Amino acid sequence: MTKKKTIFSQEVIVAIVLVALYLIFRTISSDFGKYTTFLSMMDISYYYVLMAIGVAFPLITGGVDLSIGTGMICYALAGGFLIRNYNVPTGLAILVSILFGAAIGLCNGVLISILGLPPFLATLCNCMITRGLGSVVTGSFAVPWPTAKQDNGWFHSIFKITTANKTKIPLGLVWIILLMLLMQFILAHTRFGRYTIAIGSNKEAAMLSGINVRFYHVMVYVVSGLFAGLASIAYAAVIKTVQPGTGAGMELDAIGGAIVGGVSASGGYGTIYGTVIGAYVIIFLKQGLPYIGFNANMQQIITGLVLIGAVCIDIIKRKVIK
Amino acid sequence: MGEVILTMSGIDKSFPGVHALDHVDFELRRGEVHALMGENGAGKSTLMKVLTGIYSKDSGTITFEGKEVEYHNTHDAQEAGIVIVHQELNMVGDLTVAQNIFIGREFRKGFMIDDRRMIEESKKLFDELHINIDPRAKMSDLTVGKQQMCEIAKAISHKAKVIIFDEPSAALTEKEIDDLFAIIRDLRSQNLGIIYISHRMDEIKVITDRVTVMRDGTYVGTLITDECTKEDIINMMVGRVIYEEPKTHSMVPADAPVVLKVDHLNAGKMVQDVSFELRKGEILGFSGLMGAGRTETARALFGADPKQSGDIYINGEKVTINSPEDAVKHGIGYLSEDRKRYGIAVQKTITENSTLATLKEYMAGLFINKSTERAVTLQYIKELDTKTPGPDQLVVNLSGGNQQKVVIAKWLVRNCDILIFDEPTRGIDVGAKNEIYKLMNRLAAEGKSIIMISSEMTEILRMSDRIIVMCEGKKTGEIPIEEATQEAIMDKATRDIR
Amino acid sequence: MEKIKNNPIVKKLGFNRIILFLILLLMYGAFSVIIPGFASMARIMSILNYVYFLGFLALGVTFVIATGGIDFSIGPVMFCCALMSGYSLNTFGVPVVVALLMSIVIGMLFGCFNGYLVAFVGVPPFIVSMATMNIAKGLGSVFTKTQSVSWPQSNDPSGNGWFRNLVKVDGIPVGLIIFGIAIVILFIVMNNTRAGRYILCLGSNKEAVRLSGVNVRKWQMLAYVICGTMAGIAAIFFVSAYTTVQPGLGDTYNNEAIASCVMGGTSMGGGLASIGGTVIGVFVISLLQEGIMAMRMTKEVQMIITGLIVIVFVYADVSARRRRN
Repeated sequence: MTKKKTIFSQEVIVAIVLVALYLIFRTISSDFGKYTTFLSMMDISYYYVLMAIGVAFPLITGGVDLSIGTGMICYALAGGFLIRNYNVPTGLAILVSILFGAAIGLCNGVLISILGLPPFLATLCNCMITRGLGSVVTGSFAVPWPTAKQDNGWFHSIFKITTANKTKIPLGLVWIILLMLLMQFILAHTRFGRYTIAIGSNKEAAMLSGINVRFYHVMVYVVSGLFAGLASIAYAAVIKTVQPGTGAGMELDAIGGAIVGGVSASGGYGTIYGTVIGAYVIIFLKQGLPYIGFNANMQQIITGLVLIGAVCIDIIKRKVIK
Repeated sequence: MGEVILTMSGIDKSFPGVHALDHVDFELRRGEVHALMGENGAGKSTLMKVLTGIYSKDSGTITFEGKEVEYHNTHDAQEAGIVIVHQELNMVGDLTVAQNIFIGREFRKGFMIDDRRMIEESKKLFDELHINIDPRAKMSDLTVGKQQMCEIAKAISHKAKVIIFDEPSAALTEKEIDDLFAIIRDLRSQNLGIIYISHRMDEIKVITDRVTVMRDGTYVGTLITDECTKEDIINMMVGRVIYEEPKTHSMVPADAPVVLKVDHLNAGKMVQDVSFELRKGEILGFSGLMGAGRTETARALFGADPKQSGDIYINGEKVTINSPEDAVKHGIGYLSEDRKRYGIAVQKTITENSTLATLKEYMAGLFINKSTERAVTLQYIKELDTKTPGPDQLVVNLSGGNQQKVVIAKWLVRNCDILIFDEPTRGIDVGAKNEIYKLMNRLAAEGKSIIMISSEMTEILRMSDRIIVMCEGKKTGEIPIEEATQEAIMDKATRDIR
Repeated sequence: MEKIKNNPIVKKLGFNRIILFLILLLMYGAFSVIIPGFASMARIMSILNYVYFLGFLALGVTFVIATGGIDFSIGPVMFCCALMSGYSLNTFGVPVVVALLMSIVIGMLFGCFNGYLVAFVGVPPFIVSMATMNIAKGLGSVFTKTQSVSWPQSNDPSGNGWFRNLVKVDGIPVGLIIFGIAIVILFIVMNNTRAGRYILCLGSNKEAVRLSGVNVRKWQMLAYVICGTMAGIAAIFFVSAYTTVQPGLGDTYNNEAIASCVMGGTSMGGGLASIGGTVIGVFVISLLQEGIMAMRMTKEVQMIITGLIVIVFVYADVSARRRRN
């Protein structure tokens, strides 16, 4: 019984869907199969996947983090602003961006866990606040991060390196896989991960078991914010010029990815590898649809529908099991 | 019995509207099993929750191992060596058995949780207790009884000095209860102090050394089990409270027509092939242990939960009930066992709650006719003697008994002929209880038919004209009140339990 | 203090609402002192323009919040309505009346979609909101081929600009009258009809209402339909005042509408809602918006402030609930 469940788990189905999508797009469009297409798709995927890994944790607790999209832009703006206007070394700016993310995450966590605000509301407010902060910090000007050729642009090579014979290698994919393994390990084999699941499954029981639920519940949002901070670096490396006021809606693709990848919208269950695969399904849809002749704006509608579809499947599955 | 390990004295605790504990004293020695008895709502669970830090006490002192202590949460209490096996299960369904048992104190290798060792330790624990459960199974896949055993195993696995069992046997089979008693004897011989809360008199005689009785939030007295009789304990539990005389014969005329007939009702595991009839003016008692499927039967009958098969006849006519909407249309009203969750909208007024099931009748065109609505509410406030400053009072500000009256009013306004009372007096103080009983008798005399689900044996024997006993989702007996005794009911309530 | 609170007139109006109203007056006074020329008729008209569309959004979402749910797709839905009907007006030449009705119907359809998913399928409201937000933005962009849409000016030679009379005729704020009528209707719906009663009660305890034999799904869905329809009406008032709509925007107004509700005493936990409170909240937010603009600060500053307002008021509500239980 349990064996059967694992074979046909949502993670496996989604992985199959991912491969199928890739093959379909390839057959229809010859451009889609090109290495450059693959490279640009990987570039764009990093920040989405990083956000998705982070937001998987609040989702597993039965909450959500809507502040990651605008947050990511805000952190990228802050870091870039420091480099441009105060000649701060790139390494330090990156650290500031990441810590800024963690700080906003902490703020979310305190509002939700300590003060008892509903997660979607607290993070929706921080979505607005980070969007505003990004503009206020930079005086509403766009902020370009250093380009790859500039001296302080070394951070680009974290995600993509060019070998001697001028082939570009998407190094970021390696980091993504390593981070995925690390976070999956943390979810499955550390106290933090175990309590994340426990909070989502039965918070009351977790509390009565003597777990410091408040602390771990805050930490869940700190992790989400931290990953939004990491994502901001990946974003700066790809997009080059960060525009204030953008970022709204990006959280949907990340959250959608996690849910498509089998994270339960009502909490208690989820895997990080599923999240990553799910996020790639969304990215393939987003990036692939224009190749097969769809209007680029259709992707927004489609991701919205895919999200609802995935949640409906989760709901139906739970009903059937009952 | 060894020296005193735990003393609670003068414990006082109030909730809004309820004086839950009134200067209660309690004492526990090493190597004894100490029963804590009292009717529902006597304050046993509250006292234990104060002890383990779930509630904070208003006044009084707790002395543990010679030192005055106060715990602020269960974790503190656990650390000190006081653990509780809860009446309600506190399990994380999405985690495995082993993960649940060691939650909050996982074995670790560096950062990593040592799941293998947790599984091994759980196995050892289960072997000691002679329980056959796979530690790797997901908790939500186990039966209620097995989950209970896991909870007990979890409590024991703490290095406990005092273990509290809060009605542990309610969901267990007889075999499991025997196992449990073996475990408890073993723990006693290890010089632990054990507090055992139960309603079952026979268990008390078998397993405990002393009995402390509570009543209405007060301490009544402590007896040595071997030196007292069942009757002594019952007298202390019931005490000065004068109840109505138990029924000796059915009040229903022999020719009363059958109002409701349920035929081969099936709904999930908890309702298997249940059939019964309800007559006009009858109070039909549903007895059984916790988890016997009585509430589930009522909910399936009422359309609140889906059913697989079975026919329902009202006044001889076959009816389809697929939702509470249908049930209400056919004149069935349901008072849930859990008022706050299923009975009332607490943040709304008495008026709004009273007309919830009948709002359509108070419409003047598109608009609610608020004056007739108010008049009807006032009428029922008077009739049921609901204690409130007025019909605009928020229900949250009423006491439990008065809240229950608001729910009853809702169904009386609807003029329902069939009323299902599910644990109608749970969490209600004694005075209000008697009022509810009187009201039910009056309703029956007026020709309403009542199904009463109750876990209190005395309540069943006092109120019912006929008693249906359920066990593990099946109907196991039907007893006319003339032949009903506690023993006969208990026998049928445990019939299927092996 | 207690004495004032227990005064029957104060009780009827609601103590918190009176305080909020005083804050509104105080804010207006403060802005008038700080900003030269703030106390002018032109400013008031400008504030009213903001009040109209935000008011309809906020009144609609009050019903959803009363059920204990949330809808933060209303801003983008409003824009989607304005884009699709405006584009039809300009490109396909449909009559203005049809375009206006179309806007309302599109809003209503979004409401049906959200309501069905929440009430009948059981998808959590915040997920539905998130998805609908993107669907609305995408639909607006696809339909208009990512072009911004300008509705006709009042002096448009085609004579299509008459709809602007809904807002203002010769400097008389007609919109205020329409808005006033809408407030009265929605107040009656909330307090004197079955719909309002069931919506409030199911927000307080859905299961209890279901077990009273009420078809809760139907009424729960209705709340979302009302909300969507109001977003469609808000779109009309938005274009009447601001003419041009751009695809891909609109989410800033979600928070402002929600802020208006929670300030006015509508509880995020459901079951408690105040139409009057929401209206005062709308005026406070609109005044704030005007004041910030007049002080030459950006929209972003206002976003931060509304975000903080929501947090503070929801926290007050949450802790009040905790105390009661």
